[in-house]
Amino acid sequence: MKKNYLLKKQLWVAQILLFGFSSAFSQMTIQGKVTSNADGETMPGVSIIVKGTSQGTITDIDGQYTINASSGQTLIFSFLGFKTVEKVVDNQTTIDVSLVEDATKLDEVVVVGYGTARRSDLTGALTSISAKDFDKQPLNNVSQALQGRAAGVQVTQTSGAPGGGFKIRIRGANSITGGNEPLYVVDGQFVDISAVNVNDIASMEVLKDASATAIYGTRGANGVVLITTKSGSKGKAKITIDAFSGYADVTQKLPLMNAYDFALGVNFAEGRDPNDPNLPFSQAYSQAELDALRTNGGEDWQKRLFQTARFNNAQIAASGGNESTDYYISGNFYETTGTVLDQYFRRLNLRANFNTKLNQKVKVGLNFNVRNEVLEGERADLGVGLSFDPTTPAFDKDGNYNFNSLKNVATSQVNPLIAPNFNSRNNNLNRLNITGYFNYQITKNLVLNSSAGVVNNLRQNNRYQPIISSRNGLATVENLYATNLFNTNRLTYNFDINKNNNIKIDAIHEMVQERSNTAILEASNFFTDLVTYKDLSIAAVQRTDTRESNRELESFLGRINYSLYNKYLLTLSMRADGTSVFQNNKWGYFPSASLAWRVSEELFLKNIETIDNLKFRVSYGQVGNQAIGVFGTRSRAVINQAINYPFNGTLSTGVAPSNRVANPDLTWEKTAQINAGFDLGLYESAITLSFDYYKKNTTDLLLDTQLPSFVGPTRKFVNAGEVENKGFEATLGTRIIQNKNWSINATLSLASNKNKVLALFDDVKAIEVGDRIRENTFPVNPTRVEVGLPISSFRGYIFEGVYQTGETDGTPGQAKYRDVSGPNGIPDGKITTDDITTIGDGNADYVWGWNWDVNFKNWNLNFLFTGAQGNQIYNLQRARLMGLGAEQFHAVHADFNNRWTPTNPSNIPSSRNGTQILSSQFVEDGSYTNLKNIALSYNVGDELLSKVGLSKCRIYASVENVFILTKYTGFDPESTATPLSVNNQDADVGIDYNSYPINRSVTFGLTISF
Amino acid sequence: MKYFAKLIILTLLIFSNQSCLKLEEDTSSLLTVGQLNNAGDVAANVAPIYRNLLNMHIRPHFTRTATYGADDITTWIGGNKAPLRVFDRFDYGNGENADIIWLPHAWDFYWRTIYYCNTLIDGLKTSKAPKAVVDLADAEARVFRALCYLQLVKTYGNVPLIVDGVLPTGKEERATVLQNYQLIESDLLIAEQSLPKPGTEEVGRASAGFAKTILADLYLTWAGWPVKDASKYPLAAAKAKEVIDYNYYTLLPIEQLWTLAGGQSKETIFSLRYATDKSITGEMATAFTFHQGLGFSDCFPELQFFRDFPEGPRKNFTFLLDIPNRVITGGVITNKNPATTPWDKSDRAHPMYRKFVLAEDLTFGPRPASFRPIELYRYAEVLLIHAEAQARGGGQNASSLEALNQVRRRAAGLPFAVANPTVDVTSATPNEIVDEKGWELAGEYKRWFDLVRTERVAEMAAKRDPAEPVTLLRQPTEAQYIAPIPFSSINLSKLEQNPKGFRIK
Repeated sequence: MKKNYLLKKQLWVAQILLFGFSSAFSQMTIQGKVTSNADGETMPGVSIIVKGTSQGTITDIDGQYTINASSGQTLIFSFLGFKTVEKVVDNQTTIDVSLVEDATKLDEVVVVGYGTARRSDLTGALTSISAKDFDKQPLNNVSQALQGRAAGVQVTQTSGAPGGGFKIRIRGANSITGGNEPLYVVDGQFVDISAVNVNDIASMEVLKDASATAIYGTRGANGVVLITTKSGSKGKAKITIDAFSGYADVTQKLPLMNAYDFALGVNFAEGRDPNDPNLPFSQAYSQAELDALRTNGGEDWQKRLFQTARFNNAQIAASGGNESTDYYISGNFYETTGTVLDQYFRRLNLRANFNTKLNQKVKVGLNFNVRNEVLEGERADLGVGLSFDPTTPAFDKDGNYNFNSLKNVATSQVNPLIAPNFNSRNNNLNRLNITGYFNYQITKNLVLNSSAGVVNNLRQNNRYQPIISSRNGLATVENLYATNLFNTNRLTYNFDINKNNNIKIDAIHEMVQERSNTAILEASNFFTDLVTYKDLSIAAVQRTDTRESNRELESFLGRINYSLYNKYLLTLSMRADGTSVFQNNKWGYFPSASLAWRVSEELFLKNIETIDNLKFRVSYGQVGNQAIGVFGTRSRAVINQAINYPFNGTLSTGVAPSNRVANPDLTWEKTAQINAGFDLGLYESAITLSFDYYKKNTTDLLLDTQLPSFVGPTRKFVNAGEVENKGFEATLGTRIIQNKNWSINATLSLASNKNKVLALFDDVKAIEVGDRIRENTFPVNPTRVEVGLPISSFRGYIFEGVYQTGETDGTPGQAKYRDVSGPNGIPDGKITTDDITTIGDGNADYVWGWNWDVNFKNWNLNFLFTGAQGNQIYNLQRARLMGLGAEQFHAVHADFNNRWTPTNPSNIPSSRNGTQILSSQFVEDGSYTNLKNIALSYNVGDELLSKVGLSKCRIYASVENVFILTKYTGFDPESTATPLSVNNQDADVGIDYNSYPINRSVTFGLTISF
Repeated sequence: MKYFAKLIILTLLIFSNQSCLKLEEDTSSLLTVGQLNNAGDVAANVAPIYRNLLNMHIRPHFTRTATYGADDITTWIGGNKAPLRVFDRFDYGNGENADIIWLPHAWDFYWRTIYYCNTLIDGLKTSKAPKAVVDLADAEARVFRALCYLQLVKTYGNVPLIVDGVLPTGKEERATVLQNYQLIESDLLIAEQSLPKPGTEEVGRASAGFAKTILADLYLTWAGWPVKDASKYPLAAAKAKEVIDYNYYTLLPIEQLWTLAGGQSKETIFSLRYATDKSITGEMATAFTFHQGLGFSDCFPELQFFRDFPEGPRKNFTFLLDIPNRVITGGVITNKNPATTPWDKSDRAHPMYRKFVLAEDLTFGPRPASFRPIELYRYAEVLLIHAEAQARGGGQNASSLEALNQVRRRAAGLPFAVANPTVDVTSATPNEIVDEKGWELAGEYKRWFDLVRTERVAEMAAKRDPAEPVTLLRQPTEAQYIAPIPFSSINLSKLEQNPKGFRIK
């Protein structure tokens, strides 16, 4: 046997030597089918080359191929992401091959900033996610695809609203007020993450460390997500149709009081005896009324406000190509209703990607995406709705709306059904993204790549509140027109100095111009509801507010990649960025360096078979953040309706000094990051582990500081302070079983980030930057930024239960708070603002995701767990439902049933008097484990498929947010921990107030290809 | 190949052409603050000062938060009125409750107005507008700056001196009460010179009568607690007399006073006005109406104050005893059956203030709205300042007695200028005059400051009806005379909280 092998080896060595004469061998036609070992699916586009020749072909749409070869020649089967297989041709005419996924993916080409690289050549920290990782889960949003699948990327679903709400943070928040949103680059174009259809994505690369992100300079500080959309492959046209539908409900409802209990609570709070013959006009319930409520149960507002949402998604895509041209065209339709009364969202998306070779040296391409989104209907205000009086039915006996609470209890707000049922809203968004590129191979070593594009967003938000729900009709029309132009020119020089030395140099110039125009038109005092927002001219009062803004960014970049013996890899980069938003300090310079050592290529490891990949990486770099608004450095005169004064009855125009202190010296926020990590592959990559440790220090923070009101202007942007983020992230991939019938893979990602404010400005120890959420509700910000603590720490009094009967230092039944301090820094026996202290933190210690993919024959089961550990949530929603805050009169939360009374010595305060809304009473553990998604799919077998002329047919069912394990008492720990209702999501992280709960959805779908 | 070479060159040319962005912001749409090139610029910079004060007073319940310790107002025991109850029951005085909502409302609005005034005064120094325009605007800015400082020092005690020409840093410390008074005085002495005589000012603007009235109020305050400089009483009396001697102002018949038109009459020294297109909506009537009438139950008279209030037409126009019952049907406010409830059987078991709901507008939205101008000073107050200051300073004389009697005659429904022995008094103690002022200006954001300056807070608190639902936490002392400085400003600055930071001289 061995001898035979040697002989064969000699044979093909000889063949290579005699390659010129190979045609002399007798040729035969070989055919076969290539399938994937993992799921047995046929693989189109696999390249087959006769070794040592230029002869080759690729498999067709059904995985079939035909090639001419001679006995003794070797066929090489290769496909991106799969291990290359070599088959020696004997006398057989059929060679079927099953390709095994290359878990190490070492030869996979990944997208990096301004270019591509082989995975094995990477020196920075980068996580790749390909469509294969998420295509089992029915998706309508890119963020869903990222969630739980990339270590160090924290994706939080901030809202269950239709078409809404995710927050993405890569390695924590660097900036306090400068923005922490990662940069999204879709096919080289800087766009909003919501501008791309998730079903069009081929792969995503998340750049995390400074060596990977520094190339994006001033916009790279928060990490970069590179998105590559699908393109066609050579072969006949492939049509794929995917359709899914489903329904969704909120994951849970809140425990609220029934009408009878609530009425008892009102009588209790108001000190009323139901048998008192002189009960006042309102805010008291007589015994007869109580009895009636006990019988009829009152109104269940949650039942009125929540509904089952339905959604549909359909995608049709065609792709294909020939030797020189490939194309991918897709259309997507998605629609859903909301789980909260009463919204409808619809999205249409059309994409066309073309690439073509004009000749051997020039390749051009065009990516084109157009999208339309419509949101209709007004959502009920959950804050009001949940806290509404359960003793007031939604409708009176004649079927008319009860406008307010009949007895003026609970809240003085209006019936929460009025707004969704009467107000009209129509938000329309049109996005157009076009990118073209031109790639010119000038010489063997030199390539020019030039790309340019445009992003157009046209947003129209229309709203009308009719006379019944507003003061005499109120219409708002907002038009936003934004254009973003970019141009990137890259010269790449790639040179093999000798066998062991390779050098690659990039020189890049880039320009970005953003321009936007906003017009807000508002009209009130309508005499009729007929025309709504469609004609504002009939309104008696009309206001306009228009503005224009411009932002320019110009950059010069250079990068050098050097590889020695293919083992020692060095990357150096430098970027210079200039921006229009700063006045005196426009330019920032951002260098980075990284080193990698492929230990597994060293001789001493090469013979150890268990280790097939080991690479150490270390990097350091600086990146920047310019995330302040246009005119952010300036002190702009205030011009608006709210400062005009009617001296003689008619408003006369005013100009007021700015609310902001100018700072012409403002400049880049800088983040220096050090990263060290390794990639390990064991047992033919059955186990892979990537581990990274990082430390980021952000200095010269762009701080939007508050000034005391006596200064006049109350805001100022300054460069000051320092924030540190450090942590680690690990991705463990395990191929548990891989055989004919079974394939089980699991990927666990775990990340820990510790965020700490090291300094602020001058001698200032703490600042307030968060939203006041509702200024009317919280006079003191529930969060603040304090030196030595994470960016968002909760502020409040320490709740120590309720004064019990017999305690002399307080009124029994009233809340007890800890006397922490006093005017002289020591406890003074009084509860004053000196006793407000830090009582919690909304940042998680660990976030993790665990994705399982189980294949059995034609079946696939894919499930994803996500979780967070150690974060707290300030449940101010519950505080309101307990009757606290400016808008609430009485408690509606079922906890109030257990209020303190002399006979029920509980720790729930019985009185509003002396009960603080900002206290540790409402701080809760927000840790959770969520079975985020489980999807079961069945691939119809080949035999059946070929009979009906299909290449693929997949039927699937999926459930999202299956169960959430948590101690948190609000709706859910995810959406409520990061409200969209506040502007600064990082300074107010962990505040639950008026959030839109996430949904449990059930989906059924079908994919067919032919 | 040549074709492509050309293409490259062309491409490079295009790029190199535009390859340097200017990287400058287009500031052509921005107005430069404080640039006052002409009379139009000046007028535009004056408007926000007025509007800011209007925006503040639109919500009387927020504005008055720190003055609920007075005996003319109390609030609802329940609901969301906890911040108002803090002051109604004297639950403050040692730094506690500085962090409650609504307390920063007046503080923030006064300071913003001062900022607008300072910016205008500063800008006028280099203005190219005609001198008459500049002088008038300077005087207007000073009169409002003085008003704001006076209200601040009355409410919170001594405050930092933030004036024109200096950009504050936030590290300023509190000046003394006396220094605050001196700034107010110097501003008003300038303003009264440049402002037009009453009746000659443009509609809705400040007149010299307004400046003199504030000055009289300042001197009266200066003479009382905490500085207690009695030499200021004659100055107060004299300054009030100057206003009287314009012979411009008058007292309206009591039935006309609280109508829509009454808010811009010759009884008005200065009032803040609404737009005729109703684009700005006032909440005066909402705040002073009970929930059963679709209001907010923020503010209503204390029972003892109501009982002590002398009977007569003025009492009938001050209080509402039949409390409205309303409901919204189809978006429209309609009366319930019965349309009213006797006050003692009402939601709040108190009378309402009729003066603030007489001109209510029930056709504008789901709650009673107000478009009646908001009076900051009425002529009646000037008369009573004169009467009291004269009585305390130089001794009662014919002029000061006549001033007092004019108010009493109007209160009785009689012609104010015609002597009438049935209501006229021949002497009155200063405190009697203060009480007359309390009734005349009941609920008008004045009584609290009179009680503080005359150190009668405890006296009135002792009279409080034990049946008041809001019960006192403590008997008030001097510690309750000034409100805590809102925590939001303490927190961000070097200001020292009361009582530690309180400095008189």
